[in-house]
Amino acid sequence: MTQPFLSIQGIRKTYGQVTAVKNVSLDVAKGEFMTFLGPSGSGKSTTLYILAGFQDPTDGDILLNGQSLLSTPSHKRNIGMVFQRYTLFPHLTVGENVAFPLRIRRIGQAEITERVKKALKLVRLEGFEDRKPALMSGGQQQRVALARALVYNPPVLLMDEPLSALDKKLREEIQFEIRRIHQETGVTILYVTHDQEEALRLSDRIAVFSQGEIDQIGTGQELYANPATHFVAGFIGDSNFINAEVLSSADGKAKLALPGGTVIDGVPMHAGKAGGKSASLLLRPERLSLSGMQVANGLAVTINDITFLGNNIEVSTQTGNGESLSVRLPFGHEAISSISRGDQAWLSFEPKSTHAFA
Amino acid sequence: MLLDFDKLGGLKPFLIGLTALVCLFLILPIVFIAALSFGSSQWLIFPPPSWTFKWYQMLFADPRWLWSALTSLKIAAIVTVLSVILGFLAALGLNRGSFAGREALRALFLTPMILPVVVLAVALYALFLQLGLAGTTVGFIIAHLLIALPFSIISIGNALEGFDKSIEDAAILCGASPWEARIRVTVPAVSHGIFAAAIFSFLASWDEVVLAIFMASPTLQTLPVKIWATLRQDLTPVIAAASTILIAFTILLMVLAALFRKGRKA
Amino acid sequence: MVLSATTDGGERKIRRNGSFGYVVPALLLIAFFFIIPVLMLLMRSVLEPTPGLQNYQELLGSTTYLRVFLNTFTVAGLVTVVAVVIGFPVAWLLAIMPDKWSRLVMAIIVLSMWTNLLARTYAWMVLLQRTGVVNKMLMSLGIIDKPLALVNNLVGVTIGMTYIMLPFVILPLIGILKAIDPAILRAAALCGANKRQCFTRVLLPLSLPGIASGALMVFVMSLGYYVTPALLGGTSNMMLAELVAQFVQSLVNWGMGGAAALVLLLVTMVLYAIQLKFLNPNRAR
Repeated sequence: MTQPFLSIQGIRKTYGQVTAVKNVSLDVAKGEFMTFLGPSGSGKSTTLYILAGFQDPTDGDILLNGQSLLSTPSHKRNIGMVFQRYTLFPHLTVGENVAFPLRIRRIGQAEITERVKKALKLVRLEGFEDRKPALMSGGQQQRVALARALVYNPPVLLMDEPLSALDKKLREEIQFEIRRIHQETGVTILYVTHDQEEALRLSDRIAVFSQGEIDQIGTGQELYANPATHFVAGFIGDSNFINAEVLSSADGKAKLALPGGTVIDGVPMHAGKAGGKSASLLLRPERLSLSGMQVANGLAVTINDITFLGNNIEVSTQTGNGESLSVRLPFGHEAISSISRGDQAWLSFEPKSTHAFA
Repeated sequence: MLLDFDKLGGLKPFLIGLTALVCLFLILPIVFIAALSFGSSQWLIFPPPSWTFKWYQMLFADPRWLWSALTSLKIAAIVTVLSVILGFLAALGLNRGSFAGREALRALFLTPMILPVVVLAVALYALFLQLGLAGTTVGFIIAHLLIALPFSIISIGNALEGFDKSIEDAAILCGASPWEARIRVTVPAVSHGIFAAAIFSFLASWDEVVLAIFMASPTLQTLPVKIWATLRQDLTPVIAAASTILIAFTILLMVLAALFRKGRKA
Repeated sequence: MVLSATTDGGERKIRRNGSFGYVVPALLLIAFFFIIPVLMLLMRSVLEPTPGLQNYQELLGSTTYLRVFLNTFTVAGLVTVVAVVIGFPVAWLLAIMPDKWSRLVMAIIVLSMWTNLLARTYAWMVLLQRTGVVNKMLMSLGIIDKPLALVNNLVGVTIGMTYIMLPFVILPLIGILKAIDPAILRAAALCGANKRQCFTRVLLPLSLPGIASGALMVFVMSLGYYVTPALLGGTSNMMLAELVAQFVQSLVNWGMGGAAALVLLLVTMVLYAIQLKFLNPNRAR
């Protein structure tokens, strides 16, 4: 094993009785785009703040190139950061904002001018040097903040929900810019967001945070196809869960009885406590097929509603014991023509592609 | 980081130490006066050789102290009522009106607050000498009303700013006359502003010294004038006793105001 | 339907035009007892004892009065500087410290501010006198051998006035400092700025409009103060407000009194105009 570029080791943070971060460990490779994804209060921002040095961990260590960062104060960590709120210095022009880290580092005026110009070019704001931040849009301000964070070539760039204050269209536009800048500069990025779509679009790998811990780390595809926990399954992609009875389980595969009596075998079983009686079965809406006629090992449901969503159709259904399941069918699917609201229908799926969580 | 309390580092003890010193600086004179008012030393030696109530006895034995306190109370009460009424009307006019020169008028109304009081005192004194109002209760009330009114206009104006006028319109559509709507809907809605206006107006008059020195006559003195006149002769501990009562009164007002705020939140 | 709509519209119109009526009582009060007397006083300053500007000539030409101006500006300037230098760190801490502590400090500030002005001034007269607590403490600490003269001079006035003005610096500054996003200071730190650089390059420039505005307010208030200088100052260290009062009360010289009052008024108004035009913290940010 070579030494990891950035290593977060067993970070814990408590405030009196409250534990914000329970036990977070994670390695990041040089040049990687790593996203911390999770709901608010899951510990992702606190972890980022500990990296930045705004907070000290109760326990654990952070190593950059094998050196502990914890004893280094924020201003000597040489880390870049873009914040959730607009943090440009309001009394300085855009050019002076970007020049600020360079002036602190006592770099010569000629070089400052050139590097500021380059940084503004990187974020496509050439010629904005003399503007005051207050006269710029939110998206422009965040791009200047990005330029300011990158101008001193930090090895690591932290981004704390930098786009959450922007509207959807602008957000997508800047997501694209961030990807481009990541590719152009090769900087290692740690990105915090609660938006799964943003995480999937930007990241090389995603760490899913829940209640102060990392539930799973992986690429977007891995998290979608093989969620390790119920929480990850629910957070990444669309999902249905139904209750099932565990008949037997061995080697990570389980035999389950579904409501209505259908029995399926070979379902990947996660976090199974031996002898656990009931489990939650994940059924992805886009992986269910629907038929108006009874099918073997199908799940009997009633059609509640059919909604046309452009390139696909969402069918809301209900099982015999009242659990809701939504099904997504491609536009023009043959089953649509034969069913209508209130009808009986049957859902079928590949047991291998589902997951059960005890 | 400089605005994160937990990350101040070495600055934290410095700031806390300085703030503690400032707190001491602000509170000590008040504590000393209260302590000295019970001390037996005529020369205000601290710590006092022994404790006594005699300065309070002297204070209450002299009817001129009590009389001046009653005069202050009477003037302050009348000023408070007038200031709240005039202030409410003026704030309503400034808040609702669309007439020209509204901003200039607002500035004019607030001028007596920022003007050096001594200028106003001298000018009013000259006028009152000609009108025969010098040394009269009416003169006192007019003078104090001038400096109390800005406080009312600001307090009630701020409250009106936060009040949605369409609620008053709704009351009118429900059948209330405009004045009925104003008294039943608007006045209760801005009651916290009116309360603040009343407290500030009362204090503005009750504590006022400079105008009072010019308005006073040997037969008509407010409490501050009495303290002032006594102070100019010597530093008798009787003043400490009077001051302590005033301080207790201030604390009472602060507690009342705090309770009122709490009650409004609950 | 139609009828009710018309009455509603009519009512609105009347109320809008009639709202000037609401300000009339206050306006009459201000006109009769503020504008007219001040104008009359100014008239007297150029008419008494004989028409002309000789009152102003005397006021601005003699060294006696020049010393009064000098005293006034010195004390006001000193009070302002001391109050800002002490008040800024206190406001800074109050803006960021946990609520339960800041509430206690705020209560102390408000108590001192609301305590009767004469009671406060009396307290300082007692504390600062030759046999007072301050002198005794300094002597027992061995800092001085014999009591210092702390009252009846500008030292006493400056201490007493600083005491009065501190809350006027601290309270508005808390608001200014609270309005600055702590994340901006965090960003500055990550950019590499140490505490001193964060302070001089970010925090101080961002609070400067508020500091300047508060300082000017305290300066102007100090210029026109009467009670504290009259009680804590000496007869040889008169300030401008005292001079105005003395002309009118002891010397019954309305011409000179009016002229001195006009000078005080003019300085105050000019400084306030500067405050409104250039230092309005709402505009600068």
